[in-house]
Amino acid sequence: MRGVTKAIILIIIGLIVLLPFASTHPDGLEKVAGSLGIEEPEPMWSGLMPDYTFLLTENPYMSKLISGLIGFFLVFSLVWGVGRVFARRNRV
Amino acid sequence: MHIPDGFLDLPLCVLMYVVSSGFLAWAWRGVRRAFPRSSVPIIAVSSAFVFVSQMLNFPIVYGTSGHLVGGTFLAMLLGPHAAVISMSIVLLIQAIFFADGGILTFGANIFNMAVIGGLSFYMVKALSGHSLSQKWLSASVFMASWSSVVLGALACAIQIGISSTFASVGGVMVTVPAMLFWHMIIGIGEAAITTALVSQLSRISPAVLGGITMLRGLTHERRY
Repeated sequence: MRGVTKAIILIIIGLIVLLPFASTHPDGLEKVAGSLGIEEPEPMWSGLMPDYTFLLTENPYMSKLISGLIGFFLVFSLVWGVGRVFARRNRV
Repeated sequence: MHIPDGFLDLPLCVLMYVVSSGFLAWAWRGVRRAFPRSSVPIIAVSSAFVFVSQMLNFPIVYGTSGHLVGGTFLAMLLGPHAAVISMSIVLLIQAIFFADGGILTFGANIFNMAVIGGLSFYMVKALSGHSLSQKWLSASVFMASWSSVVLGALACAIQIGISSTFASVGGVMVTVPAMLFWHMIIGIGEAAITTALVSQLSRISPAVLGGITMLRGLTHERRY
């Protein structure tokens, strides 16, 4: 458990430090679509934090960081929940 | 490589949902068979790590970027079954909350990243055999993680290429070479990061690399 806590802290520090350096260029698929002149269609569902933005803040760094942290804990808790409910009790 | 809604025709979306469901069922059975409750924290933290690292795009050439997909990394930590489940949950959160990857294309995205990523476990296994040499293992991880990105991109290229949106610009004849070109470069980033992470972990905390333990045919009784 202590290892897991340590890993969580390291990952959050990593995100805080590395986020400003993250490239905002299109990724491979977006580049291919863009170079062929294909616009990304209006999404049928734009999510609560589209493109990793948190609407309550103007600052782009904070916006991305907060949405990233929320996503981090959403993934963590969902996997934890699924695992707890279904993983077998035996073989401790 | 997350396909947004609108890039794939509906029948293909349905087909990919069916195909991915089959793999998810397979993965689920494997997880139920092999995973003790005590391994839940490590699965949760590694999934959350993959989510975060997918936000950190690294630049490649010509104004394009890539990011770690993390399939092979998860497979080395968790083994193939849990890696597929873990990556699928990451993709689910991305689609629902961040509109990163579509809802209709979710099945295709699971196949391209979670299934191919998780199954890259077997490529590491085939390449490394029963060799216990660290160097050879690292080389196998490098090759498998590069291939997982390139094969995922190939699958993605075929899916978009046979769909109507890309048909007007040349279909698979155009999408396959273009996707392969970028992802052969992005794959080098994936492979470098994955290999570095795996070799660092095997140095500081080899016990967490449950996938590698499985690879070597040992039991994976672990403590966290």
